[in-house]
Amino acid sequence: MTAPVLTTERLTLGPLLPEHTDPVAAFYSSERTDFVGGRKTPEMAWRHFATEIGHWTLRGYGNFAVTETATGQLVGLVGPWFPYGWPEPEIGWMLLDGFEGRGFATEAAERARAWAYDTLGWTTAISLISPGNGPSAAVAQRLGAWLEKETEHERFGPMQIWRHPGPNALRAGDGQ
Amino acid sequence: MTEAILTTERLRLRRPGPQDLEGYRRFVRSQRARYFYFAKNDEEAWRLFCIELAHWDLRGFGMFAITTHEDDNCLGLVGHWYPEGWIEREIGWLLWPEAEGKGYGFEAARACVDFAFDVLAWDTAVSYIEEGNTRSFALAEKLGAYWDEAATTRAADLRVYRHPHPSERPEEGSA
Repeated sequence: MTAPVLTTERLTLGPLLPEHTDPVAAFYSSERTDFVGGRKTPEMAWRHFATEIGHWTLRGYGNFAVTETATGQLVGLVGPWFPYGWPEPEIGWMLLDGFEGRGFATEAAERARAWAYDTLGWTTAISLISPGNGPSAAVAQRLGAWLEKETEHERFGPMQIWRHPGPNALRAGDGQ
Repeated sequence: MTEAILTTERLRLRRPGPQDLEGYRRFVRSQRARYFYFAKNDEEAWRLFCIELAHWDLRGFGMFAITTHEDDNCLGLVGHWYPEGWIEREIGWLLWPEAEGKGYGFEAARACVDFAFDVLAWDTAVSYIEEGNTRSFALAEKLGAYWDEAATTRAADLRVYRHPHPSERPEEGSA
């Protein structure tokens, strides 16, 4: 399954492509990975990126490559994510270095969540956020999500489960 | 290239898909994977299979699912492997236990060696095989490959078997 192309005011959400491997590997070699499993060698980053692509094949959905429409630059990976063993289907986001602070994560995640609800038929969604990842928690709040509980992930340790408003609540405007 | 299908006398090799996950999971969670990689749990098996699938998207080639002409059941994976960090392009094979002892590994791997040189235009190909995996050593030799002791290996306990170009390989059975 290949990802569809979705657009927002400033962003384009599309398939993960081989050319995105290098920017993603650069991200995973940086300190910005503290909240997403830690630094990875280029080999491990490639494998991680391959896992993201394989997720699409196995699930029929997955993270989108998010590019800034005006420049074509890869901004981050955002989308529905539910690998084997995950507590529940989630909407995840990760921004590459230099693209923080401009509302891109919120804008892309809101579009990806709408796609998960409208097209995949999800009736609810969570986001797993590391305790201490304030910027990510702020994105969740802007999306109308609330901290539901803390959980312990086998590999990632303590994680917060943020619950998104469901499709009906969003339609009714309760989630904003 | 993404729709590549190879056929041999008895086998059909196709790109793997979600339907092949369960056989792969059983394999990497079993003793049969001792010369390949043991998955710690089903989660890791799932993620490893994602990589098998995505290798095609990232490289334009990858491991094929081995099936017969009779049905579409996957009997193992065979094909072309060159993830980030690999030293040389590899021909690999993983056979599920129910498919052993029928010469399927040889038949499938031979087709993949030919494909590597003739279609993918590789100038050489290796197979990395762990010490002790005598059945894979034998298969590599049957394919005409030889232990290239001078080649750089990925790990101390892996032998590098080098596949000669199809035009230069020894007569079958003489290895």
